[in-house]
Amino acid sequence: MKSRSRRIDFTGYLFLLPYIILFTFFLILPLAYGLWLSFMRYELTSPEAAGSHPATFVGLANYREALADSWFRQSFFATLRFVGMTCPATLILSLLIALAISTIPDRRQQIYRLAIFLPTMITISVAGLVWRWFYAPEFGVFNAFLAHFGVKIPWLTDTHWAMKSIVIMTLWWTVGGPVIILLAGIRQIPDAYYEAAAIDGAVGWRRTFHITLPSLRPVLLFVVVLNVIGAFQVFGQPYVITTGLPERSTEVLLMYIYDVSFNNFRLGYGAAMSWILFLVIAIFSLIQFRLLREK
Amino acid sequence: MLLVFCIYPAVRDVARSATTPDNVITLRFWNGFTGPDGRTILRIVQKFSKENPDIHIIMQKMPWDQYYNKLFVAGVAGRCPEVFVIHSHTLPRFIGTKFVRQIDDLVGGPNQIDPSDFDPNVWAAMEHAGHHWAIPLDVHPLGMYYNRTLFRQAGIVDAHGDPKPPTNRAEFLDDLRRLKKPARDGHPDQWGFAFTWERTNTYAILRQYGGTLFNDSLTRSTLASPPSISAIQWCADLILKDKLVPSAADFDSWIGFRQGRIGMVFEGIYNLSDLQRQTDLDWGAAPMPLLGDQPATWAASHSLALRSDLNGKQLEAATRFIKFLSDNSLDWAEGGQVPVRRSLRNSDRFRAMYAQSEFAKQIPYVRYFPATPFVFEFLAEYDTAVELALRGSATPQDALTHAAGRIDAVIDRYRREGWEISR
Repeated sequence: MKSRSRRIDFTGYLFLLPYIILFTFFLILPLAYGLWLSFMRYELTSPEAAGSHPATFVGLANYREALADSWFRQSFFATLRFVGMTCPATLILSLLIALAISTIPDRRQQIYRLAIFLPTMITISVAGLVWRWFYAPEFGVFNAFLAHFGVKIPWLTDTHWAMKSIVIMTLWWTVGGPVIILLAGIRQIPDAYYEAAAIDGAVGWRRTFHITLPSLRPVLLFVVVLNVIGAFQVFGQPYVITTGLPERSTEVLLMYIYDVSFNNFRLGYGAAMSWILFLVIAIFSLIQFRLLREK
Repeated sequence: MLLVFCIYPAVRDVARSATTPDNVITLRFWNGFTGPDGRTILRIVQKFSKENPDIHIIMQKMPWDQYYNKLFVAGVAGRCPEVFVIHSHTLPRFIGTKFVRQIDDLVGGPNQIDPSDFDPNVWAAMEHAGHHWAIPLDVHPLGMYYNRTLFRQAGIVDAHGDPKPPTNRAEFLDDLRRLKKPARDGHPDQWGFAFTWERTNTYAILRQYGGTLFNDSLTRSTLASPPSISAIQWCADLILKDKLVPSAADFDSWIGFRQGRIGMVFEGIYNLSDLQRQTDLDWGAAPMPLLGDQPATWAASHSLALRSDLNGKQLEAATRFIKFLSDNSLDWAEGGQVPVRRSLRNSDRFRAMYAQSEFAKQIPYVRYFPATPFVFEFLAEYDTAVELALRGSATPQDALTHAAGRIDAVIDRYRREGWEISR
C-alpha cells in the first residue's frame, strides 16, 4: 500500500512538472534575479561595464535613492491616482452592466456579452492610438461633437483632465473582463434564494442588495484583487496615449521604471523600484483579502 | 515526411538566393529615417548598390525614440551594425562604451573625405577627446516658416508688397500683435506664433540670450543661470502675461500652422516635406529672427559612424559607403535637409532649394545640444522644466533650478561610474 501511494504522488508531480519548470524559469528565477539586482549598481552605460558588465553591491542605496527621487514619488502618486479612480469605477460599472445583462433572456445575452467583451480583445497599441485620435484637440471625435455645444475639453493636454481621460479609455477597454466574471458569478446563485426571498416579499433592488451582492462576495473579491493588481501595473495606456505628459502628470510608476531601466540602462535602480511596486501591490492585496474575506 | 519532401526544395532555393557570394561584403546600416527621409535614403542606398555590386547593404530603419535603445543594446550584446547614424550630441555616450571607431585615418588623405569642405563648427561637433568619430551627413537647423497669406492680410509687407518676415525682437512682437485675431463668426482663432517643439524652440532662444546648459568642463549645469532664466521667462511671458502666443495645452501648433491659423513657427528643415506636399498654403522660409542679444539657433547633424572593430575589407567597404553618402548628400538634401559640404552648397542645384538655402544661412551660428554621455537624462529634465515654466505651473526660476539640481546629481553619478565628462 505504501509503495502504491508513493507512486501516485510521483505521478502527480510529473504532471505538474511542465508548469513547475515554466514557473521557476519565467517567474521565480527572474524575481530572485530582480531582487539580487536591486542591491547592485548595474549600469549598462558605465564605461567599466562595456564588455564585462560587472555589478557592484551597494546594499540599500537603490532603495534610498528611490525614496529621495522626486520623479519616483510623482510617478508613484500618479499610479495611486489611476488606481483610485479606475478600480472603484470598474467595479461599479462592471457590476451594473452585469446586473443589467443578467436580466436579459439567455439567447439575447450572448450579443451583449460579446459587445461588452470585444474591446478587451483589442491590443493596447491599437486601442491607445485610436483613443488618442478620439481625444485630439483639433480633429478628435469628442471635441467635434462637443463643439456643437460650444465646449472644448483639453482631454490630454490639461493636467486635470489627462489622467481622467486615460481612466475613461481604460474603463472602455477593460470592463468586459470583470463583467463576464460577475455574470458567471450571478449565474451560480441558486434560484431557490430568489424564490424564498420572493415569498418573504423581497423584490427589485432588495433582491440585489440582500441576495445577489452577498452571494457574489467571493467573486467580487476576485475581481477587486485582480483589478487593483492590474491597475498598479498600468503602462500601455499612458505610454501610448499621453507618453506621460502633460507635466509628467500621467507618467505612472511602470513608465518611470521602464525609462530608468531601458532608456538610461540603470538596471539596479529599476529593479529596486520594481520591488517597491511589488511590495505595495502585495500589501494592497493582503488588505483586500482581509477586508473582503468571507466570514 | 511527404510535407518535408514538398517543402525542402523551395526552402533550399530561398536559402540559396538569400546567401550572398563569398566575394561580396555585407554591411548592416542602421538609422532612424522612418519618415519621408526613409524613401530618400533608400534611393541613395539603391544607387550605391548599383554602382558597387561587391557590397551588399542591409538597411534597417526604426523610429528615433526607440533607435538609440536598440542600437545601444545591440552594441552591448556585440551585434552593433557596421555603419550607423547617430546625432552628434549622442557621440560621447557611444564612444564611452567603445562602440564607435575613431576615423582620423579615414579622412584628409587622397580619395578620402576632405575635412576642409565642411563648416568648421559642424566638423568640430564630431570631435571628442582629440579624435574624430563620425562624418556629418547633414545639418538640420531650426528656422522660421511663415504664412505669406496671413502676412499680406495683416499688412506686414516690404516696399514691393511682398510678405516681410521679422528679423528682430521688435518686429517679431509687432507682427504677433498684428497677426493675432480672436475666434469670430465661425472662424477659428488666429495667432502670430506658436511654440511647436518646446525643446528646440526654447533652446534656440536661450542661446540667443547668451544662456548655456553647462559650464565649459560640463561638470555643472548652468540651466539656472540668469541669461537662461531670462530667456525662458520671456517665452513664458509671451503666453501667460502678454497673451500673444497660445498655450501648448490648447493647440497643436504645427497642425495649426498648416491649417493657416498661425503666422509663424520655428521648426526644423526636416518638416519641409509636409509643406512641399501641401498645395493650399502659401508659405515662406527664413532664418530665425534675433530675439535675444546674439544670433543662434538649434541644430543637429545626422552623422555616419562605424563599428569600433571594423578592419580589412569590411572597413574599406564601409569607408566607401559613407563617402558615397556624403558625396551624394545633395540628393539627401532634397528630402528636407541641409548638406554640410560647402562645395555642394555652392552648387546651382542647392541654390534652387529655397527653404534649405534660407535655413543654411544660419549654419555659422547653429548651436548643437552639448555632447554628453548623459544626454537623454539631461534632455528629459530640460523638457519637464520648460513645460512647467511655459504652462505657468512653476516659475522659470524654480523649474530651471530644480532641473539644474537633478542634472548635477546625474553628472555626479556619471563621474562616480568612471565617465570622462569633460570635453
